[in-house]
Amino acid sequence: MPRVDASSRVRFDGHWRAELNDYVIALAWSPDGKRIAAAAVSGEIRVFDASGEVAPVTLPGHAMGTNALDWHPDSTRLASIGQDGKAVVWDVQTGQAVHTLKTGASWGERALWSPKGDVLATAAGKLVRLWNAHGEQIREFSDHASTVADIAWKPGTDHLAVGAYGGAVIWSASSAEPIRKLTWQGSTLKLCWSRDGSVLAAGQQDSSIIFWDARKPEPSMMWGYPTKVRELAWDRFSKYLATGGGETVIVWKFGSKGPEGTKPIQLGAHQDLLTTLAFQQRGDILASGGQDGVVLAWLPGKREAPLGGLRGIGAVSHIVWSPDDRYLAIGDDQGSVMVTEIVPE
Amino acid sequence: MTTMTDTRVPVTVLTGFLGSGKTTLLNRILTEQHGKRIAVIENEFGEVGIDHELVIGADEEVFEMNNGCICCTVRGDLIRILGNLMKRRDRFDYITIETTGLADPGPVAQTFYMDAELERHLRLDGIVTVVDAKHIWEHLDDSDEAQEQIAFADVILLNKTDLVATADLDRLEARIHAMNAAAKIYRTQNTVVEMDRVLNVGGFNLDRAMEVDPKFMEPEYPFEWSGVYDLQPGIYEWVMGEGPDPAMQACLLPLSGSDDKARAALVERAVITFSDADHKLTQGGLLTPGETLAQLVLNEQGETRFKVQIDQAGLYTLFTEHHPDEFSAALFNGEARLAAQFTREYKPDHEHDEEVTSVGITVPGDLDAEKLNRWLGNLLRTQGQDIFRMKGVLSIQGQAERFVFQGVHMLFDGRPDRPWGLELRHNALIFIGRNLNRAQLNEDFRACLA
Repeated sequence: MPRVDASSRVRFDGHWRAELNDYVIALAWSPDGKRIAAAAVSGEIRVFDASGEVAPVTLPGHAMGTNALDWHPDSTRLASIGQDGKAVVWDVQTGQAVHTLKTGASWGERALWSPKGDVLATAAGKLVRLWNAHGEQIREFSDHASTVADIAWKPGTDHLAVGAYGGAVIWSASSAEPIRKLTWQGSTLKLCWSRDGSVLAAGQQDSSIIFWDARKPEPSMMWGYPTKVRELAWDRFSKYLATGGGETVIVWKFGSKGPEGTKPIQLGAHQDLLTTLAFQQRGDILASGGQDGVVLAWLPGKREAPLGGLRGIGAVSHIVWSPDDRYLAIGDDQGSVMVTEIVPE
Repeated sequence: MTTMTDTRVPVTVLTGFLGSGKTTLLNRILTEQHGKRIAVIENEFGEVGIDHELVIGADEEVFEMNNGCICCTVRGDLIRILGNLMKRRDRFDYITIETTGLADPGPVAQTFYMDAELERHLRLDGIVTVVDAKHIWEHLDDSDEAQEQIAFADVILLNKTDLVATADLDRLEARIHAMNAAAKIYRTQNTVVEMDRVLNVGGFNLDRAMEVDPKFMEPEYPFEWSGVYDLQPGIYEWVMGEGPDPAMQACLLPLSGSDDKARAALVERAVITFSDADHKLTQGGLLTPGETLAQLVLNEQGETRFKVQIDQAGLYTLFTEHHPDEFSAALFNGEARLAAQFTREYKPDHEHDEEVTSVGITVPGDLDAEKLNRWLGNLLRTQGQDIFRMKGVLSIQGQAERFVFQGVHMLFDGRPDRPWGLELRHNALIFIGRNLNRAQLNEDFRACLA
């Protein structure tokens, strides 16, 4: 796509739109760009053709509700997890469940493929289980102070960060013992590794963020957010960390100085709490979505006003970029899934 | 957020020890409210199973925050489950949360004020505590959980009353009332209770912050006893034996009218009289009706007799600092011992010095906003951990509206309410907490008057 700079504007060019039967709780674009999977909070999962031209495939999902989705790197399989305590690996061609995995608790929170795709991690209750390609459990990590809220594979490695009350624990798929315990008194809600793997950021229930920088001995805390922080996104250079926790997008700049002791970039235009943030894979545009039903595109560090925006229908629940950075998929609280092209002008 | 247009889903928290009957109550709610969609969050699989379409298990995960502030302590499991429930299209009419007997209600209540997402969609309606009237005695003294569940409650069901003698129930109710004077207490068998007594009680609703039965707001009286006598003109004798103190304050006030209103007005006059300087009376001294406070000084040994002079026939009320029984005291007409027509005690019979108590303060007049802020800020900072609940209505100088407030630990929720209009401007508030200093709270509050 053409370069976007501070003098640019972008247009949101509606592409297609479809409906689920409930709040879009998970939204994922397949790595090959061909499909978009969306889950309704009440359970239904639909796999859409990204072009919008082929009818979607509906998967039964999870009886009590689906909580999370993740595409396998090869884009043929989709993992889901839900409140029936199960994780399921689906073959998206046939719509059949390939593996049905017992997560060990009644409420499955996250399912996430390792970067190589050889391991699936599931988080349910205090348990994190790792499964191999045959659906066989290879590890169980249980040393967590509370229900696991989020998990995140460190880019390019088999290291898995597990966030719960009390900070985060770094495990490895090749070891039964934790690699590192990142202790913090507080409740971690969301984890996000910088793309170079040097910094792990954690959004907290107590309206703050913590980050552990591999180059520094102690974690840092950034506070002053109006509410809990669940929206985190790193840019491609691991230089900017965009955070939510309120109506204003707060962007911390990582560099030789800071972010400790620096003033963050503040991007304000939303009229209600932010719900989701996503940076492009190879571009610099940050997309933000909020309870106000608005999606905005930003160029943090270069421009304070939005590049452009889109008013949706309901409160935005998720935004994901297409792998080629040309499109945004947007989910909302009414069950709508929209795909829109981001066109520089 | 105004309560007029409050469409948030109400949440009732059920607490009580295992076996108290709270699961029976929950089943009763589900059965009797069958037209409504009720979500149940259950932390304990109790003695009775729940037969319901939506029961979600939770783990009572208490999250303390990095700043160490107790008011930031929340229940992570509830945030996760309720956050998810609120996303669903098929909304619930009501949510009930059943906690275990070991749960601290503080973090449960605070969760609804500390999480913006939940606060937007949910309204904490009330904390209902079910008490096993037979077995609670074992826990009242030494279980922090039992004490706190009573202290936090908006509604307390004294359950299994069929297993307990009435006198024991009275004792239990008095004791629980001394701990939490703001809660409504109902006696139940099998938790049979009208649903509107446990649901939609508005326990955290500012509009209903002062819907506390006035008698629950009794201040600390300077006297312990009053007796009403029907007297004719003449000289009577008030005879006292030896007692625990060398002297006792008393006053005699004529009573006009015998309805509750007249009695209440008389009690107020007595409170004012008792705040005046007293004058000493010794053996043979004359006690006359009117708003003067006498200090009845006893002889070192034996009986002491005081004269009581009545000029007009009528009803008179004698207010005494201590209970007359402590001095074997009585009123005599010649040799005839007179019985009071009506007596009242002003202090509950404390068998225990409760750690957990209620302190009610009622003071007429206006408050200085700045003094009040400073005092309340300091109070919550230093004693917020021990203050479980508070609520009340305040009269702030220069403000036409009543100021209503309620709070949990250090969380304070308040706003101007309707104008005072013709109503006498006054302050009425209650604190429920542990190790509260009643005299200090009263004194410090009065110091905030403008």
